[in-house]
Amino acid sequence: MQRTMDIVLDWRLHISVLIITIMSELIGVIAIPIGIGSILLLPLLYAFILGLIINPNVIKGAGVWIKDNDVKAASPLIVIAIMPFIAKFGTIIGPSMEQIIDAGPALLLQELGNLGTIIIAFPVAVLVLRMGRESIGACFSVAREPNIAIIADKYGLKSQEGAGVMGVYVIGTLFGTFIFAILASVLATTGAFSVEALAMACGIGSGSMMAACTGALASAIPEMKEQILALAGASNVLTYATGIYLGIFVALPLTEKLYDLLGRKDAVTKVGE
Amino acid sequence: MNTSETQMDPTAERKLSLSAHALVLVIICAIGLVGNTVATDIPIADGFVGLIVLYVISMVGLILTEVVPIKLPSVAWISLIGILVTLPWTPGSEWIVAHAKNVNFLTLATPCLAYAGIAIARQEIEIAKTSGWKIFIVAVLVMTGTYVGSAFIADLFL
Repeated sequence: MQRTMDIVLDWRLHISVLIITIMSELIGVIAIPIGIGSILLLPLLYAFILGLIINPNVIKGAGVWIKDNDVKAASPLIVIAIMPFIAKFGTIIGPSMEQIIDAGPALLLQELGNLGTIIIAFPVAVLVLRMGRESIGACFSVAREPNIAIIADKYGLKSQEGAGVMGVYVIGTLFGTFIFAILASVLATTGAFSVEALAMACGIGSGSMMAACTGALASAIPEMKEQILALAGASNVLTYATGIYLGIFVALPLTEKLYDLLGRKDAVTKVGE
Repeated sequence: MNTSETQMDPTAERKLSLSAHALVLVIICAIGLVGNTVATDIPIADGFVGLIVLYVISMVGLILTEVVPIKLPSVAWISLIGILVTLPWTPGSEWIVAHAKNVNFLTLATPCLAYAGIAIARQEIEIAKTSGWKIFIVAVLVMTGTYVGSAFIADLFL
């Protein structure tokens, strides 16, 4: 009970977050034009960086203000802090329900597009980077919490597959928001895909990554903001429901099969050595 | 050791009681209100009512997470409630929609990412270091593949 109250009333932490929020919002959205489009820097990205800067694990000098127990207290607060955001998303999906039903087949089928990670990342991991079985854990999914659970259940987290999924999870935690914000803003400004399709793709089962992704899209095409948010939000809810089954029954078996196919030569040479 | 520490994050949520959630959400909504007032021209009174609406939706979702035997993450319940109360067929939905509109969605994500930045543990930095540049390249490709794959299929069927 004491511990709970410590977290809730960690004023040092909340004050820091309040100041970071104010600073980030004052800076606002900045667009950096690059050749094929533009990269949008969003307040939530500054907030993450400012959080890292006052994190004593990242910058030692920060320890005079933020202590170890503040860092520990911040962890369970991430999930709670995203809740009003998720609630807001719900209130955007509801009124747009008819539009979402119209997009129904595309919305459902694009969940299969999450398998794109296997097509793009897996061959590079196995053939170019010569990674072992950690490539299975790393590449079968976008490595958020439900996917970690799948790997933990099947191989254990101390296995090579476990190391793979944890590696991508951590990189995703550190850089995911940046990567999705950049992907979304560049693709939106190049016009390679329709905005609706890009919006649906933003729903990947992680609140903060979806925030960065939709934020970048909505800032790039403000006139379609409502539609972008509705489709992304609906897709995200769908991913919560379908993600774990797609992982267990399709993505993981498929990645295993591909590993047998592509990884075999490696295993043979190892025996011969 | 690394893994068990990072694994705690997804489950840490359950350690806090409902009343602790209620209290933390008040703090977070207060921070959100300040952010909303800084980021937009929306008067603080309007944003206040908007955040109360979102607070109530979040709390109903949290209560359902505890009460309903079906295991869904709390964020799934919260978005479900948010959707249900704003469907055009739901009585009173216009009122809720009108007030929720006074809260900027992007601003609400800012405090969350600030907590996330502060929460990065030493173990996570160690994992990133030891896994090295290879896992970084793979992770970028994983995210690109997931995103472009979904956008590609969605485009085909739109």
